[in-house]
Amino acid sequence: MPFKIINKLVLADQVKRIDIIAPNIARRINPGQFVSVAPEEDDEHIPLTVTAYDLIKGSIMLIFPEVGHTTKKLGAMHIHEEIYSVLGPLGRSARIGKEGLVVCIATGIRIAQILPICRAFRDKGNRIIGVIGAKTKRSLMLEPQMRLACDKLYIATNDGSYERRGQATDILGEVLEKNRIDCVYAIGSVEMMRAVCAMTGQKNIKTLVKLNPVMTDCMGMCGSCRVKVGGKMVLACIEGPEFNGFDVDFDDLEIRMNAYEENAQWGNLPSEHKTGNGGPKTLTKFLSGILKG
Amino acid sequence: MCVRACPLEINIPGFIRSLREGRVSDAYAIIREKSCLPSICGRICSAPCEVACVLNEEAAPIGIRALERYAADFGKGKLAKKQRLLYGGKKVAVIGSGPAGLSAAADLAQRGYQVTVYEAFDKPGGILRYGIPEFRVPKKTLDHEIDQIKALGVTIETNFLIGHTATLEEIRQKFSAVLLATGAGIPKFMDLPGTSLGGVYYGEEFLMRVNRAKSTFFSRGVPKLPLGQKIAVIGSGNTALDCARTGVRLGRQVTLIFRRLEEDMYVAEEERQYAKEEGIQFASLVKPVEILPDSNNFVRGLKCVRMDFADRDGSGNWEVAELPDSEFNLDVDTVVIAVGHNPNSLVGEGTPSLKINDDGTMQVRDNDSMTSIPGVFSAGNVRTNAGPVVEAMASGKKAAEDIDRYLRG
Repeated sequence: MPFKIINKLVLADQVKRIDIIAPNIARRINPGQFVSVAPEEDDEHIPLTVTAYDLIKGSIMLIFPEVGHTTKKLGAMHIHEEIYSVLGPLGRSARIGKEGLVVCIATGIRIAQILPICRAFRDKGNRIIGVIGAKTKRSLMLEPQMRLACDKLYIATNDGSYERRGQATDILGEVLEKNRIDCVYAIGSVEMMRAVCAMTGQKNIKTLVKLNPVMTDCMGMCGSCRVKVGGKMVLACIEGPEFNGFDVDFDDLEIRMNAYEENAQWGNLPSEHKTGNGGPKTLTKFLSGILKG
Repeated sequence: MCVRACPLEINIPGFIRSLREGRVSDAYAIIREKSCLPSICGRICSAPCEVACVLNEEAAPIGIRALERYAADFGKGKLAKKQRLLYGGKKVAVIGSGPAGLSAAADLAQRGYQVTVYEAFDKPGGILRYGIPEFRVPKKTLDHEIDQIKALGVTIETNFLIGHTATLEEIRQKFSAVLLATGAGIPKFMDLPGTSLGGVYYGEEFLMRVNRAKSTFFSRGVPKLPLGQKIAVIGSGNTALDCARTGVRLGRQVTLIFRRLEEDMYVAEEERQYAKEEGIQFASLVKPVEILPDSNNFVRGLKCVRMDFADRDGSGNWEVAELPDSEFNLDVDTVVIAVGHNPNSLVGEGTPSLKINDDGTMQVRDNDSMTSIPGVFSAGNVRTNAGPVVEAMASGKKAAEDIDRYLRG
């Protein structure tokens, strides 16, 4: 099955959007589900949320930040190139019901994940207040789409370069005071989701969060996306990625998210083991040995 | 004796006789009659035949596994030959391309069915590709074996996850029979404080990351995961041993921790000897109690307690029990947990009529591989939960027979 790129756009600073032909996935995808993508053979598979799909073209839209090795490679691919592997749809679909007044809050790259949720809530006849945040105006994306999907949209930038200065959670606090909210859907960093759950917990508002733990195979085989929910270890790729916000153990999640950060750990160990063994370094050492001898 | 012990019922005396007379390709043909993955079996089979060998009483058994490996590597033709006999048989879908799925697919294709194998990963092979490390089954050998199966007329479709890309019901409508060979994919979570820390991996993830690391002609694959210098592997099965030996190959210091005696490990004697030669430290009769965190929430050490045999209630039943006041700290910075798997629950998603036992395995009728839905069969570890590769292959062959009987009416 060829997964051809048919469209590519730069949305914000280091954020790209690609549309891929994948009719089997487009036919079955639900809001909140994701796909696992490997740009070339033997590459790492990365989970990416599907922001939108087109049944006529049979295409899915992926939005990703170019931060890691694999996403940089994916971002460097051109229109008409074929992606090696796209597996999906994965995960459970979002629990979207008739709630009334819903607040959808997301920051940074997670705006791409909240957009399909907003649209699904809207299709069910809910009224939606959107709250999105970004570091600067340059890194804010999908603003027009969010304006269409939400009844009212608040925007916060950390440096004040656009609309309001501050955090998205500050706006959420005001919104919660002014209105009677029935449901809050939050996607963001661990601190942000923890803050949202603390706010809604006081008023006893239903809160759903979408977690983004590290995933290796996205099928439940590796166990790297294990999170503690309701006192029990579950796999986010099978039972999630959406969970009830009050059940999630955010301290545990923070440890898990931190576990793959290359720079954060092994401070007491020699630096060479960070690079692993073998690789080009060994080769250059070997070659320089030959040249010297 | 050995033939009766072999789950695949390979004619072992027959192929050894051929080998003795120097007819290697004949020996290969004899093995090939029963087993469709001979060079893989020759490498990783748990060799129940050698345990049952009649020479065991007098001396060491015949190295049947090594002989099979020789026959398979040197007896097979250079190119896969197209040998499809019949066209236009009934269509059968096999979900999962692990050992059970592949042997069932090969068997069905030989019986003249049109077989399509669905695989969730980007390449077929299942556990043989992502779970078993390169030094035990080289990827080249696996590719060759899969090419042989493809030459029988089997089509393999990758990037297909049952229950998500299509439900079982949809597949069932397209095919006359469906075989579920999805394996036991979910790691058993260990109830140990500190399993969420950085530097704690489950065996599957560790092996998968190492196996799928890109290696080229110039560079060995460097797995993309933070790894310390001293690894502790918890478990006593084949997966644990594979993790430990992989760790040694990555240049790390490895300790294998398990609760039973060394002699009681669930692995072949030969493998254990290899592991010892490679310098893995065996800590037998040790039970891990807690993984200790450092200030960055990474592993600092492993708190263990020693075990010993004890006659607790004086009834003569010697059980393994904890020794009092024997706690000690093991100085490690990475922990790999390999204590077993559960069957993958994704199969049943969207298909409530598929009956699944409490432990996650498929409900089947006695002596038949059919599940609670007529025309849907199951084979391999999804049915038996945990078993060696050769048993999964035997189960696949059995399922192929059952499917044949079902489709003939």
